Amino acid sequence: MKTPDLMKNFGQVTAKKFGAFKNVILEKYGEQPGTMLVHTGVLGWILSSLAQVGAVVVNDKIPSEQKAFLIPQEIADAAINIVSFYVVTNSVKSLASKLVKSGKLTTPKIMEHLKKTGLKLPKKGENVSPVGKWDFDITKLANYDEISDHFKSFKNGVDVGASLLGSIASCNLITPVLRNEYASKQQKNAISRMHNKQLQNLEAPCGISMAEFQNRAYSKSFGLKI
Amino acid sequence: MVSTNLISQISFGNSFASKASSIGKRIYDAIPNFNPIANEKTIERIAKFGKKCSSAEQRLILGATAIVMQPAIDARNKSVDEKTRKVSVARTIAKVIAGTLTGFAIRKACIKAMDLKMFKPSNYTKVTKDAFDQYKNAMGTIVALVVMMFTNFLIDAPFTKFLTNLMIDEGSGGKKK
Repeated sequence: MKTPDLMKNFGQVTAKKFGAFKNVILEKYGEQPGTMLVHTGVLGWILSSLAQVGAVVVNDKIPSEQKAFLIPQEIADAAINIVSFYVVTNSVKSLASKLVKSGKLTTPKIMEHLKKTGLKLPKKGENVSPVGKWDFDITKLANYDEISDHFKSFKNGVDVGASLLGSIASCNLITPVLRNEYASKQQKNAISRMHNKQLQNLEAPCGISMAEFQNRAYSKSFGLKI
Repeated sequence: MVSTNLISQISFGNSFASKASSIGKRIYDAIPNFNPIANEKTIERIAKFGKKCSSAEQRLILGATAIVMQPAIDARNKSVDEKTRKVSVARTIAKVIAGTLTGFAIRKACIKAMDLKMFKPSNYTKVTKDAFDQYKNAMGTIVALVVMMFTNFLIDAPFTKFLTNLMIDEGSGGKKK
């Protein structure tokens, strides 16, 4: 096969795959904006973490000894970011979604529809209604289509709001606290390693013991430099 | 013998998971139902938020809350010395400003670009306008993430460095010569 034919073939295959990919995205996220925000958020964290790790790997100014420390640190930092984002955001979103689907969080229009379906509506002090229970799912009702437009737009709004709250809690609260905790431990370990290395190469000057000399050296150089 | 042990371990795991799930269900069922949201305007706002809030708006809201919360967390980090803490606060503010501005602008531009013919899926006419709008948000965000793999190096990193240095210089009483 000649080069132009190869290129043409490659172009056709790529266009076909891209076409299929677009349809998959349309089917998967067309009616689930909350899920889309969680998934693209995770993807964003993965790509930005790869960029951070890549920046350390390709930086010629960082000596290889420091790279051996910095690369695992960046990877651990990325793992905290990604796991915390996914676990927290997805949990909050899933809970909100469950509240709406099970009928715990509703609108008067949805309640009216449930009443029309013949279901017993929840009342204070009674525990006989299936509405709001774990196993109850509004989307599985036989006449769901009658309320689907109103229900979907309400549920999508709640999902997006919950995803946003979850991402604020994970990105701006949980991750910074965990990351600071981890980074300060790493910093202390790195400083103590540097000290040990320096002290191994020291010789005690005449007139004082090695232990005394180490004590003095330590007390003079304890200031943290950045 | 080994297989019997394995089976008993698996069945123990299954029964543990089923008990945990049944406890979870009971806790959930015990939570009282919320009163239905009566205000029609609130319901409309919730529905509109679901339709209009794309990843670009999410990034902007995240950035706005981050600028309030993250520097405060760094400033209270007693595990590091004073100087490290100041640099950490300056770097966090710089990262949030640079990341939010570029993140918002690139996501918004990429979502807008989804109106181009090359990005439209073949069966977009078969779905509702809302579903297609959500597709544009999702596809635009994916394209934006690819674009940001480059802009992270080309814009974010130097801009963050510039802002950090600016804040450190300001904090230490003007630029050092």
